[in-house]
Amino acid sequence: MDPRENSDNRKQKENNQQQTKPCGRRDFLKGAAKLAALGGTAMLAGCGTEALGSSEELKLRFKEYFKKNYRLMTPDEKDETILRLEQLAKMKRGVDVQMSSREPIEGVLFGYAFNVTRCEGYMECVAACVKENNLDRKSNTQYIRIFEMEHGEMTPDAGDGKYFHEVPVADHFYMGVQCFHCQNAPCVKACPTKATWMEPDGIVVVDYDWCIGCRYCIAACPYYGRRFNWNEPLVPKNEMTKKQHYLGNRMRSRGQMEKCTFCVQRSREGRNPACVEACPTGARVFGNLLDPKSEIRFVLKNKKVFRLKEDLGTDPKFWYFVD
Amino acid sequence: MKTPTIRNCLCGTLSVLLIIFAGTATYSGQGGVVQIYKNATAPFDDAKLVDGVLPLPDKAVPVKSRYQGGRFWTETRKDKIERFRCSQCHNDKDVQIPQAAEIAHGDIALVHGGQDKPLSCFTCHKKDERDFLETEAGVKIDMDHSYQLCGQCHFRQKKDWVGGAHGKRLSNWAGKRIVKNCASCHDPHVPRFEKRWPKTYSPPFIK
Repeated sequence: MDPRENSDNRKQKENNQQQTKPCGRRDFLKGAAKLAALGGTAMLAGCGTEALGSSEELKLRFKEYFKKNYRLMTPDEKDETILRLEQLAKMKRGVDVQMSSREPIEGVLFGYAFNVTRCEGYMECVAACVKENNLDRKSNTQYIRIFEMEHGEMTPDAGDGKYFHEVPVADHFYMGVQCFHCQNAPCVKACPTKATWMEPDGIVVVDYDWCIGCRYCIAACPYYGRRFNWNEPLVPKNEMTKKQHYLGNRMRSRGQMEKCTFCVQRSREGRNPACVEACPTGARVFGNLLDPKSEIRFVLKNKKVFRLKEDLGTDPKFWYFVD
Repeated sequence: MKTPTIRNCLCGTLSVLLIIFAGTATYSGQGGVVQIYKNATAPFDDAKLVDGVLPLPDKAVPVKSRYQGGRFWTETRKDKIERFRCSQCHNDKDVQIPQAAEIAHGDIALVHGGQDKPLSCFTCHKKDERDFLETEAGVKIDMDHSYQLCGQCHFRQKKDWVGGAHGKRLSNWAGKRIVKNCASCHDPHVPRFEKRWPKTYSPPFIK
């Protein structure tokens, strides 16, 4: 053994004495490296046994750590990881989660339209989104932002994105901004680990476990469509949405990117996203772009529509329209 | 003298070709998702492809207009009106309770139609048959089909509602199209949405 490993051993002994040391991603990786080097016993010492939980949990987490990218998994592997994640949710949070990996529906390309004339700025959609997608309550993460804009303003840059007063205000209109699920998405191109991609049904998703937290995608997105977990997300146990999807509203960790997924756990079942369902004014239209009889196609055909920053060539699947 | 002409010819054809190619390149670049959905004309059988589609609820009636996809349904209204049937009181018999109208309908404040041309009860309600509504042309209309009545003035909204640009569906984008009735969202007596506090607030930007 070389002297460096010996010093590592000493550190482990110290760690053993400090049982309460938290186990982060980096510590875990260190532990895994030592496992390879020292043959199994060093793993538990890598971080305190208390923080790791039972040996069963440790086993699950170990398997979770070495799983593939979602797109490379076979259906069996997807089922296995989902089972593991459900068990881990039960162990760590005490929540019975029903997770799915439902595949995209054939012949569906999701599109969204937002009626700027009808939106009154009540922000019911924002609240519903936070609830449905298990967003972090601590840092108040929100996928949707509603801008209050004066008549005649054309870009949300000029609007007020953090208003809090009685709405609607006279001579103002409201414009909701979220991930636009671009057909030519710049965030997908920016990701160095291929942790984000566009699904065949047009939803741009993130494999949270493959995200390394570099935030290149945030820099690449011209619409401020992505959110980063600066802290471990906090969702009260009784408020958690238990029906989850692997690519959707399952719990994220610190250092992972997340974004609107058109509520993939709902939309792939034929249901509307939570924001559409919550909207009290019917300003939000959601549907299948490939279905000539869908409502979204009616809007695109009959109303005056525009997309935000269309000149950038990102090709968003999110249109604004006026009555 | 021969070589320069050939060169000129070549340059000319090359530049023409370049312009054509550049044109097609930009055109294909502009296609994108717009071209994708415009090319999709085949009907989509969602009942077959989406297994989570809900069955038609009992409390929906078929709408008498057709939308681009054919038949659609709307929420019923009669079962949501507190004191329906209206003819329980509005009949030939005398009402015994004093100030009965005040007790029954005192909460109704009609804010509909603007100041210069305000509406009255009998603009919409049928005077001799209170269980029904009546259009300006005197056509009797069922409470469940009130969109026919609203649509006489708000024809633009009705056209959008039939097509899908106004109003909203009940929970599902796939399956049978069941939409909210006019009166599901708008109080027919005070149709404009009230001014109120937003449900939540947004924190300042953090990148």
